[in-house]
Amino acid sequence: MSTSRRQFIGGIGAIAAASSLPRPAIAQAKPRLVVVGGGPGGATVAKYVARDSQGAISVTLVEPLKQFVTCFHSNLYLGDFRPYDSITHSYDGLKKYGVNLVHEAAAAINREAKTVRLASGVTLPYDRLVVAPGIDIKFDSVPGYSEAASEIMPHAWKPGPQTQLLKKQLDALSDGDLIVMIAPPNPYRCPPGPYERVSMMAHVLKAKGHTKSKIVILDPKPNFSKQGLFVEGWEKHYPGMVEWQDPKMHGGIKGVDPKTMTVRTDLAEYKAKLVNVIPAQMAGKIARDAGLTNDSGFCPINAENMKSSSDANIYVLGDASIAGDMPKSAFSANSQAKVAALMIRGELTGAKTFPARYTNTCWSLIETDDTVKVGGRYEPKDGKIAAVETFISKTGEPADLRKQTQVENMGWYAGIISDIFA
Amino acid sequence: MPSLLVKRCLVATSLLASLAMVAALGMTARAAGEAAKGDRALGEYLSSECVTCHQLSGQFKGIPPIVGWPEASFIEIMKEYQHKRRANPVMQMIAGKLSEEEIASLAVYFGSLKPSH
Repeated sequence: MSTSRRQFIGGIGAIAAASSLPRPAIAQAKPRLVVVGGGPGGATVAKYVARDSQGAISVTLVEPLKQFVTCFHSNLYLGDFRPYDSITHSYDGLKKYGVNLVHEAAAAINREAKTVRLASGVTLPYDRLVVAPGIDIKFDSVPGYSEAASEIMPHAWKPGPQTQLLKKQLDALSDGDLIVMIAPPNPYRCPPGPYERVSMMAHVLKAKGHTKSKIVILDPKPNFSKQGLFVEGWEKHYPGMVEWQDPKMHGGIKGVDPKTMTVRTDLAEYKAKLVNVIPAQMAGKIARDAGLTNDSGFCPINAENMKSSSDANIYVLGDASIAGDMPKSAFSANSQAKVAALMIRGELTGAKTFPARYTNTCWSLIETDDTVKVGGRYEPKDGKIAAVETFISKTGEPADLRKQTQVENMGWYAGIISDIFA
Repeated sequence: MPSLLVKRCLVATSLLASLAMVAALGMTARAAGEAAKGDRALGEYLSSECVTCHQLSGQFKGIPPIVGWPEASFIEIMKEYQHKRRANPVMQMIAGKLSEEEIASLAVYFGSLKPSH
């Protein structure tokens, strides 16, 4: 969909005509936006609203961590393609736009009172709230697994210490050791992520000359993102090292035992040196507690603007949302945040708004200079965010194209980090 | 970049009248057959999609910078992606959905910026 000037929606006129005038214009000097969660969705919307409203909206970002470690490109850290420091970022750059940073956990949302209570007990009133808490892990979706077990069998699907634990375990392996990954069921954060991670693990093993080592992927899904590209890459770069099993092959994942480092399926029992369990996922707790989720554990949204389907004062961004055909990715969250930022400014200050449009691209590194990508553009259609065009790398692409795609991958990371945090 | 007066006129008048006015004011002549005139505000809005990858600072870290380009070059390259004469599928997809007016607006916006790094 293209947008001409004639299609602009006059924000001021729209607000004046709306049945509910934004109270902030009447009740206090500045309308207040509170953002819960400082990931690619939350930090982007905070920056864009603060920057583009030029002080007309009070923006507070609530995020307990003082530094953000990106889940995206954490696989490249595992594979020794980039250091941990390079995926760690400060929020300080947001201050120059006037974003108020509150490094505390948000404890609860009171939708009636339109307040967010912090862990310290402080209450933040809002006129509009963005909820972008990312995912929580459903530990009990894998029998025998738990938060305590994740200290032995890391999930590493939330960035930080779990990522570092997995790296430490990977680096400690000896030739001939077995790695087992339990892949997650849909929907989950970063659809190609588990398979890029396997590629990076295989890269580390291969670089060390661990020719007898093996990685077994036990997947609850019958297929996965970029499957043809990954399988081609594994056969090319890591022959005999990676074995992927779908439910027909393993017959069902029966459970894990961290004490014995075993994984049981209907077909076999594996005793591994490294077990990476990536369980099922759900929206972050604060979104669930606020009643923003449905039976899926994620938050339905209005495709036109990323507003919660159940609360017109709340927007939900990123992995916590049900964004139709858009995958749960940093690129998606960043794209959704820009739509939401515009709509929020339209609601609170009468800024012009435009029809929503979304994009996503996900790059995956398989081996040095061998990167593939998938992407799409999306628009609201029939009540959901629908893909209107998609693309994916092709199998058998020439090496120079794959190398250039990796250059692009690194360039994208630098670009989106600048877009979010600088 | 058109002056404020010219921009106001562009919004208020028909396309042909606008182009005639631009010419009358001695602005840069537009290429024959080029129908759209860029609007910086629209370009700024649309640019949020671009800056996920292309850095506003103009830094080059694997993805080419696009700030400060001559408008005509920007438009030409975007049209090459639009017609798939340039290969990158991400850019083909991005450019493919843009109208002439939107491409021209992006050209005006990015052309108005200077690298800051």
